Amino acid sequence: MITSLQRFIFRKFRDSETKLHELNYLFWECTIRCNLNCLHCGSDCKKESFIKDMPLEDFLSALDTVKVPSKHLIVVMTGGEPLLRNDIELCGKEIRKRGIKWGIVSNGYLYDKEKHISLLNSGLGALTISLDGLEQSHNWLRNNNKSFSKVDEAIGLAVSSSRLNFDIVTCVNQRNFPELTHIYDYLVKKGVKSWRLFTIVPIGRAKDHSELFLSNTQFIGLMDFICNLRKKKKIDVKFSCEGYVGKYETKVRDSFFFCRAGINIGSVLIDGSISACPNIDRTFAQGNIYSDNFYEIWQTKYKQFRDREWTKKGKCADCSNYKNCLGNGLHYWHGDKKNVLVCHNEKIG
Amino acid sequence: MNQYNMKNNFLRKILGGISFTSALFIFQACYGTPQDFGMDLLIEGQVKSKTSGLPIDGIKVSIANNMQYSYTNEDGKFSLYTEMTDNITLSFEDIDLTENGIFIKKDTLLTNYDKPIFLDIELTEE
Repeated sequence: MITSLQRFIFRKFRDSETKLHELNYLFWECTIRCNLNCLHCGSDCKKESFIKDMPLEDFLSALDTVKVPSKHLIVVMTGGEPLLRNDIELCGKEIRKRGIKWGIVSNGYLYDKEKHISLLNSGLGALTISLDGLEQSHNWLRNNNKSFSKVDEAIGLAVSSSRLNFDIVTCVNQRNFPELTHIYDYLVKKGVKSWRLFTIVPIGRAKDHSELFLSNTQFIGLMDFICNLRKKKKIDVKFSCEGYVGKYETKVRDSFFFCRAGINIGSVLIDGSISACPNIDRTFAQGNIYSDNFYEIWQTKYKQFRDREWTKKGKCADCSNYKNCLGNGLHYWHGDKKNVLVCHNEKIG
Repeated sequence: MNQYNMKNNFLRKILGGISFTSALFIFQACYGTPQDFGMDLLIEGQVKSKTSGLPIDGIKVSIANNMQYSYTNEDGKFSLYTEMTDNITLSFEDIDLTENGIFIKKDTLLTNYDKPIFLDIELTEE
């Protein structure tokens, strides 16, 4: 009864957020160069890319169209590997000059002591580092036998700064699933305070590796694992906001599922496209910073993001959970968009 | 903020509060970082020679009990963000020996600051 009431109120809250669509989170795909060649990369990033990094001034021109940024607005630099940009500190400083906070998502390979200090000096406030298992399974997924030792160093540095709001993300797959408890122990020992777990989306390079995807039984095991760790309250463990998980909602994360792509989350992609999360199908782009005013697009477009009725098709058409889920995470609508790629609730059964 | 947005902001707070869930306004995107609560402080300044009044290049500016440091540029200027704590001690240290004179190390304690801070620092030559 209470849960039904909570869900009802939450839906009202979600509607109100959608109507307001305050830009709180802006991804900047500042490079698609990457120093790793991960098996699960949804962006198909490569070490050498023919697409050049976006010049800082181009991004700033777009950002400057946001005349009165929300006090919660953060720019999150992503890639590729953002630390491959040799002007990343300057990028950060310029963003902070505008009263906006910034963060990066990194594989940690280049995150050494010098880099840690120069990033903090430039006002870095939020950091996410990917750790996909213990040494063997992490190096396997990252396709690099030094990757674990590098990320281990990066985690140590990030933990040492009480200034940084920092978390670890792990893409759970067949190889690291059996060692989740050991990964947890490792993170506790390192002093990590926050851990987010994902599953892998069958797009990009990932779709060719069946080992990357969990069976339904394993997925339920993952939900139970997260539930149990959350009860311990040793560190903040959660399932990412990637999808609706039915009876596990609020047990595996702090609030009900709400895909905020295009509602509070925007992006400037490598080619100037204006969209939402970078892993969303590129055909959802709403404009381009090289021809459009970014904030005008944010204010006036994004219809597919803010009215999800169009997702009521395929397996979502007759789903009794649709009003709570609204077609799952938008990044699960790819290609012809006739059906959702993954239904987490279906996995739970 | 216009009246429409004020009304919506009020509504979202009410709805967010009574749906008994936390982290409604401070969220993170699936593949993004956590939010940043901005608990840092921008410290900028310029370091000059007390004797000549000229800016000093290459002075190491470090923060006590913290691994952060930076260096002054050719205009004697430095700039860094650091964690906001009750008090901050900055050290100014000449580490390039005789390159542009030798200056005595100086510590500066910052308290009751408001952000951002600009410091004019004078170093005495040995």
